[in-house]
Amino acid sequence: MNEYVVEMKGIVKNFGQVQAVKHGEFNLRKGEIHSLIGENGAGKSTMMKLLYGMYPIDEGEITVKGEAMKTLSPKIAIEHGIGMVHQEFMLVNELTVLENIILGFEPKKGLTIDFDKARKDVEQYINQYNMEVQLDKKVSQISVGEAQRVEIIKTLMRGADIIILDEPTAVLTPQEARRLFEILNNLKQDGKSLVFISHKLNEVMEISDRISVMRQGGYMGTVNKDETSPLDLTKRMIGREVFLNIDKDYSKAGETILKIEDVWIPSQKETSKIRGMSLHVREGEIVGIAGIDGNGQSELVEAITGLRRVEKGRIILNGEDITNKSPRRIRNSGLAHIPEDRNTRGLNRSMSIEENLVAVRLDEAPFTKGILLSREGQDAYSKDMVEQFDIRPTDYHLPTSSLSGGNAQKVVVAREVSMKKKLLVASQPTRGVDIGAIELIRNTLEKAKKEGAGVLLVSAELEEIISLSDRIIVIHEGRITGEMMASEANENNLGLLMMGGSDAGKDGEKAV
Amino acid sequence: MNQTVNSIRRILLTMVLALGIGALLILAIGENPVDAYVALFKGAFDGKLRLGTTLAGFTPLLLTSIAFAIAAKAGAFNVGVEGEVFLGGITAAYIGINWTFLPRPMLYLACFAGAMAVAAAWAFIPAALRAYYGVNEVCTTILMNTVALYITSYLVSGPMSAGTANAQSLPVTVTLYQFMKPSSANVGIFIAIAVVVLVILMLNKTSWGYKIRTVGFNPSHADYVGINSKRVFISAMMLSGMLGGIAGCIEVLGVHGYFLNNFATGLGSNGMLASLIVKNNMAFTPFMAFFLSVLKSGAMGMQQATGVPKALVDTITAVFIIIATMETAFQFAKKRKAQKKGKEETA
Amino acid sequence: MNAILENFDKIFNVSLVYATFRSATPIIFAALCAAITQQANILNIGTEGIMLVGAFTAVTVSYFSGSWFLGIVAAMIAGAIISMIMAVGHIRYNSEICAIGMGINMLALAITKFLVKAIFNSTGSFSSPDIKAIPRVNLAFLDSIPVLGELFNDWCVTEWFAIILIIFLQFLFYKTVWGLRLRAVGQFPEAAKTAGIRVNSVKYQAMLISGLIGGLAGAHLSLGYSTQFIENMTNNRGFMGVAAMYFGGANPVFTALGCLLFGFSDSIGARLQAYGIPSQFVLMMPYIVTVAVLSISMVAKLSAGRKRESALHSGN
Repeated sequence: MNEYVVEMKGIVKNFGQVQAVKHGEFNLRKGEIHSLIGENGAGKSTMMKLLYGMYPIDEGEITVKGEAMKTLSPKIAIEHGIGMVHQEFMLVNELTVLENIILGFEPKKGLTIDFDKARKDVEQYINQYNMEVQLDKKVSQISVGEAQRVEIIKTLMRGADIIILDEPTAVLTPQEARRLFEILNNLKQDGKSLVFISHKLNEVMEISDRISVMRQGGYMGTVNKDETSPLDLTKRMIGREVFLNIDKDYSKAGETILKIEDVWIPSQKETSKIRGMSLHVREGEIVGIAGIDGNGQSELVEAITGLRRVEKGRIILNGEDITNKSPRRIRNSGLAHIPEDRNTRGLNRSMSIEENLVAVRLDEAPFTKGILLSREGQDAYSKDMVEQFDIRPTDYHLPTSSLSGGNAQKVVVAREVSMKKKLLVASQPTRGVDIGAIELIRNTLEKAKKEGAGVLLVSAELEEIISLSDRIIVIHEGRITGEMMASEANENNLGLLMMGGSDAGKDGEKAV
Repeated sequence: MNQTVNSIRRILLTMVLALGIGALLILAIGENPVDAYVALFKGAFDGKLRLGTTLAGFTPLLLTSIAFAIAAKAGAFNVGVEGEVFLGGITAAYIGINWTFLPRPMLYLACFAGAMAVAAAWAFIPAALRAYYGVNEVCTTILMNTVALYITSYLVSGPMSAGTANAQSLPVTVTLYQFMKPSSANVGIFIAIAVVVLVILMLNKTSWGYKIRTVGFNPSHADYVGINSKRVFISAMMLSGMLGGIAGCIEVLGVHGYFLNNFATGLGSNGMLASLIVKNNMAFTPFMAFFLSVLKSGAMGMQQATGVPKALVDTITAVFIIIATMETAFQFAKKRKAQKKGKEETA
Repeated sequence: MNAILENFDKIFNVSLVYATFRSATPIIFAALCAAITQQANILNIGTEGIMLVGAFTAVTVSYFSGSWFLGIVAAMIAGAIISMIMAVGHIRYNSEICAIGMGINMLALAITKFLVKAIFNSTGSFSSPDIKAIPRVNLAFLDSIPVLGELFNDWCVTEWFAIILIIFLQFLFYKTVWGLRLRAVGQFPEAAKTAGIRVNSVKYQAMLISGLIGGLAGAHLSLGYSTQFIENMTNNRGFMGVAAMYFGGANPVFTALGCLLFGFSDSIGARLQAYGIPSQFVLMMPYIVTVAVLSISMVAKLSAGRKRESALHSGN
């Protein structure tokens, strides 16, 4: 018999023109935690989705528990004991936790679903691994940490002994992550084999037995945890050494450019409602908003930019009251905005790079002549932007749908920053982009600040917040739980505040 | 360019397939498809009267198809063009009959302006309901078509009735010159062509056109860049309504000379078909409108010359549209796979 | 106006209750046809066409076979076939659902017109004493009971069945495995897929059942509600059904309640006509009511959503 429960050899997977996995190798031993690391877009998630049968492989072979898998589908994968906790939770918001857990494997009593039996079965796992969940709540009402436990229970209920976790800590505080690791270790003790996908090296070093590295769709080797170091892993991941730290210049913060006074902002999720928040941003400073995703960051940004209504309070930009004004008015008052979701908001994916670059200043001089759009004016400007921001491909008549994540984001950044507005709101500006684009975007933000703009930076990456910001504001469930200078901040004190402050304790992650 | 060639090839293939299915139906009722299609062709083109009738039928279709397409560009599915034609027509008739105090050129203008204004106002209702309250515009526009039909029907059988057996209004005092008598082809066709050219230019060359396209592709992005997506959506629907109103006005002033009850039945839905078949491509829509009007006007000739019911033509167009909506039909297996993969990636 | 006030008790009386239900039943079937696909997140704009084809098939088969039951069965099969054309187009070939739905409606209108001419050599409509209608249920013991008799006696078989169907679908959606999967597919297909559910298969099943119900809707219209086939006899009832489905949020019971409202306006209108209201106003009333009700229900939904989202009130 084979020592591996899973073996993947010579895997190739293309999505249209894009080669997601060029040469993938992976194996998993029984009862180990095996981390799969790499940059965004290195192909780690794709590899595991292939194993789970989400897409068919183009080339290569997959063996599960000694059996060569000719075809795979989620159903077949589940039958072979494979479970996957996706980065984006696969939970139906409108159904209850219990309904979600049994979906696809419902116990029946006559014609109806046997909810009593289902409840009993689920409670068994809850007790065994000490994972509290509230079975009768709707998924839309529970916290992220709890949703993740629901996902894990789902895999266990389906009899999984091979569990894949795709970037499970991306949405958790350091403290919640620790709690997850306890659960993972319990599972490992119980003989389950786990795949842990991540790009956070400290976590990988903490939890893994073995570590495999991928870069640009290719396999870069596997090492035992004891025989490696974060530095070694970085080199394998990136292929060169990078220094993302930027020399900070704490000097001259000037006049207050943005002032938020006791605003109340609605949201679909209870934990994302903003209930009375005040803050300000001055010229020439970067203010970082730290917090776990879904604690009101998006709502705050949308309210400032005019995309969400404010129920109470005032927002003052550049001396003007912009509360509940139209996005256009607010932009004219001095706002530029890099939105968190470039695919649905930041870009019009079916239009060209050029059309996207000029979108916000369509009615301005060189871009329009009389009532007609001006080809020449737009061309000259696009050419300049493509060069200045190193957007590739350089043919700005191509549709933005053909751009990679990094280049797409550069189009958004180019458009917003080039207007040299007084306030720049940047929400998750480097999410899902390659390392080159990260460097360029961070330098661009820094430059905007040096030129006197106030920058409000929202990011889920603590490292990004700490290295870029001058001042850091931490929010939790729509309230500010702390504020400090970046020089005083570290992952520990920020992490604690992100959970609701020192007194929130262990239950801080629960929904209100 | 390659894309254009591809689209044309697709449309032709679909057309052949639809005609083929039609031929099968003709065979099924024991007639000869070749004879039927020849009769159809003759019915549309043979002689001044028939050609003129085809052109007269083409005029409103050209406008209603572009009306549907422009709304579609902003993301609306405006089935309500038909109601807008009715209301535009009745308004033009009312002004054309009663506002004789105006000098003639002004009266022409007033008829068109009135038709456009009323039709646009009618289109505003479902547009605003959709933009501000999320009320599905397909449902509302379809139901409002019936309401519009009954309103005009009430007016021409009641207050505006000419007192004849047929429900119709008095004749209007201004008419559009008919240049191919005895057919009802009239100068309205040139007005329609000019309007359509203007609309296409507007869509591609002005910032308003850009805004309509942006809102249609991605309203959330539009709002973010400072385009008021709701307002643009409503304005596109109102423009669509205006085009319907112009069609109604031309029908009343050019074809009938009075408002005839029920005159616009099918004009809106056939325009919608023409636009849908070519996926709301503004450049192709006029050609498709022409093709459909050929089928329509030829159908009568076919029914008379052979035993094939003219409803067959509607069946063929319906099959045509159903096949045309299938985005991925007619792709070679390999290509379809590639596209499917592309989808997975973005998912 | 005075005439209406004087005859108020003639307009609003016990028989209005059944009249309302009678007018509503075809719309209820149509709405249920739309509701089941809506649960799978498919907007069944083709309801109108499915229903029309069902109506034609029912009359034709009943006429030739002399059996109303066979007529219904054939109508349901025809509805399912039409619905599957739409399903294949939408699911397999990525047709935009509104576009193909409208195409189906056009096809239904054209092909029934064509076939009426080809089979019965008639234009516009077809009726014949040889068409067997769906029987009415006469409960002898109710004859003697004054109000109940008037309310419940002599219902058409399919009218009783409409009530059974509402209850059945309510049970199917919210209590069974299939319903749970259907809702999961509609709300978050990716999640359903990872749970091992074959998403497209569930969608096809929903479309198939929808076609059967739509066909039944048509059969009821042409063999129960009336006994003839008229060109375009559905007269937008399919779209009213879709509107009612929106009103009821695809929940069978609420959806049916919405239909009763349309039925009510229809039957009131019919009575008002006797008192000098122009027929056009009477005829347009259900349409206006539908648009108004649809709008009001969406506004109400929106404001309820706003309230739930509000940060000013504490949640839970």
